[in-house]
Amino acid sequence: MTRLLKTPAGWPRLLLARADATDPTDLDVAVKAGAFGGLKKVVRSLAPAAVVAEIRAAGLRGRGGAGFLTADKWQLAASTPADRRYVVANGYGADPAARTDPVLLELDPYAVIEGLAIAAWAIGAETAYIAVRATETEAIRRLEAALGAAEEAGFIGADVLASGHPISIELRRVQGAYMLGEETVLLKALEGKRGQPEQRPPYPAERGLFGRPTVVQNVQTLALAAWILREGAAAFRATGNRDAPGTILVHVRGAAGAGIAEVPLGTPLRAILGLVGAARSAPPPKALLVGGPSGGLLPADLLDTPYSFTDLRDAGAHVGSGSVVATAVDVDVVELAELLTRFCAAEACGKTIPCRIGTRRIEEIATRINAGTPRPTDAQLLTDLSADIVASALCDHERLATLPMSSVMRYFRPELDAKLQPVAQQTTDRQRVAVADGEPAH
Amino acid sequence: MSLIPGLGIVRGMALTLRRFFQPKVTHLYPEDPADISPKFRGRLQLLYDEHGTLKCETCFQCAQACPIECIDMGGVDTKGRYAVHWGASETYGERREESALRRAGRTVPDVAYEHWNAIDLGPVDAILHDADHDPGRLLEILEATQAAYGYLPVAALKRISFGTGAWYAMVYGTASYYDHLRFEPPAASSSGATPTGRGRAEADYLAGLDLVTGSGSKRPAGRAN
Ligand SMILES: Cc1cc2nc3c(=O)[nH]c(=O)nc-3n(C[C@H](O)[C@H](O)[C@H](O)COP(=O)(O)O)c2cc1C
Ligand code: SF4
Ligand code: FES
Repeated sequence: MTRLLKTPAGWPRLLLARADATDPTDLDVAVKAGAFGGLKKVVRSLAPAAVVAEIRAAGLRGRGGAGFLTADKWQLAASTPADRRYVVANGYGADPAARTDPVLLELDPYAVIEGLAIAAWAIGAETAYIAVRATETEAIRRLEAALGAAEEAGFIGADVLASGHPISIELRRVQGAYMLGEETVLLKALEGKRGQPEQRPPYPAERGLFGRPTVVQNVQTLALAAWILREGAAAFRATGNRDAPGTILVHVRGAAGAGIAEVPLGTPLRAILGLVGAARSAPPPKALLVGGPSGGLLPADLLDTPYSFTDLRDAGAHVGSGSVVATAVDVDVVELAELLTRFCAAEACGKTIPCRIGTRRIEEIATRINAGTPRPTDAQLLTDLSADIVASALCDHERLATLPMSSVMRYFRPELDAKLQPVAQQTTDRQRVAVADGEPAH
Repeated sequence: MSLIPGLGIVRGMALTLRRFFQPKVTHLYPEDPADISPKFRGRLQLLYDEHGTLKCETCFQCAQACPIECIDMGGVDTKGRYAVHWGASETYGERREESALRRAGRTVPDVAYEHWNAIDLGPVDAILHDADHDPGRLLEILEATQAAYGYLPVAALKRISFGTGAWYAMVYGTASYYDHLRFEPPAASSSGATPTGRGRAEADYLAGLDLVTGSGSKRPAGRAN
């Protein structure tokens, strides 16, 4: 299993509070440590609208990458007229290099189950799904055990805590593509269809699984929702930063090691890298890859950027999969960006032109720049193409796939220009020969 | 046969005369564009990119979208797998010879054609029965079929299409999207040894991250020189 990193004593633990339990599937131990406290409170005394109000007061934002306000989604799903509604926990963990979501499912399956039940209660859903990558066998084993125990104890099932409301939770194993992490694609997979995104709006909260209002929520978001209902919105607001309270799981990689840590939002990137214990005398990393395969490459002088949805977006990266990678000082960032772009292009689903062709063209430009055969117009082409893709993309994947190359353009321009340079020379030479031959220069 | 002699020729001449004085319908195309239905999409044609490579990726999306099921194809998709037509093989020129052989009961010496071999449909029928013949559970059906046969034989896919009422293009389009579903027996499949397409990109990505965090090689793209 992936290593958990030790965090400073002052950092709050909301997600990993019960992570030290010897057997995370032991329901009694979990309940003693607070599990299902939020659900009990909800069932006993809170109307669905009051649950949404509490989540709104807490300012909870989705941990799946985009940081969308969770209360808005629940509100929309609850207020859309429908005969049936669904909640889906997204535990797919699309980025193969970030195991934060499966690790949460392994260490505290009850937190996710409780959050799912609370979300179902809030929007009036009777069926909920947990989608997990089929290859995460340990997370699946523990979830199955936890679901069985929770149903036995009456926390979920035909009659939740003797309230008369049924909430059934089904575990679904999905696999076979990176894009399955995207919410509309995940819903397609649950419907047994080809995994290609849908136009949004209508958002899944209006028309999702089988055409019904569906709340898709990252597993961390759900675990935090359970925490908020138990401890209160004010306590949640006291952690993290103003715009995005609370904590998030981050998968950090550096020369000195790698691991997963629970980090308050707004923590500077420098402090996050410090968790893998790089020696103080070691040179700072050349670049930070923040956000997974479609992340942005940030230079070392942005090490003080707070890890939060808005700050990272402004810096040209994103929270994404929760992966933070510090590269060695001698890494060729243009080649790294090419590698990332190739991954994104290979995983693009093929549904739309920016997706099928746009990402591939960026990859080709990156390849020829690195191969020493760039064209003189490549820098401009890259800028224009990225802008076009961002403007016309169907899903966020294509938009984000432009980030590796565009962040290199933004922060590592000298290095990129050095690779573009010699060719400017070559082209003029070639043109002169052409003129001497009597051909028109153009 | 008319009873009045000559009536037929009178009728014929009447038609000729009427047409003779009607306005003519000659279009000065292309100066004067023809009046065509707004839904007309022209002749179907596959496009080539600037390197002369066929742009079609054999994804079956157009076949799936075509309302009258007039589009069909065969070829190699982006995962490097041989994709088969979803219509009757006899309708394709390049397959006609093999079809003739097959109808004559002779063996067809074409490995690509093994996809078409008859299989014991018992297991797939049982799977369809368990899944209620529900096209909404297609992924589940495909996974169970692969577990039963080791791969997804064409005959089984056809049976699933027939049994659920989902178009073959839909069944194939779903099966070809997911990396864990395969169309060849595992031994014959090349994906085990050297992953292609998405599998390769993922392996490269993970290896690249290991490279860039250490101070070893500084060439994450793994270029030879
Ligand atoms: C390419 C792509 C991959 C994604 N992968 C994941 C993922 O693995 N897990 C996840 O929770 N969200 C993922 N998302 C985000 C989801 O689309 C969705 O926003 C999220 O599950 C919503 O939950 P939240 O509001 O709790 O964040 C991905 C999005 C994109 C565009
Ligand atoms: S099979 Fe796919 S790529 Fe080929 S023409 Fe049809 S839609 Fe286009
Ligand atoms: S539409 Fe294909 S990846 Fe977004």
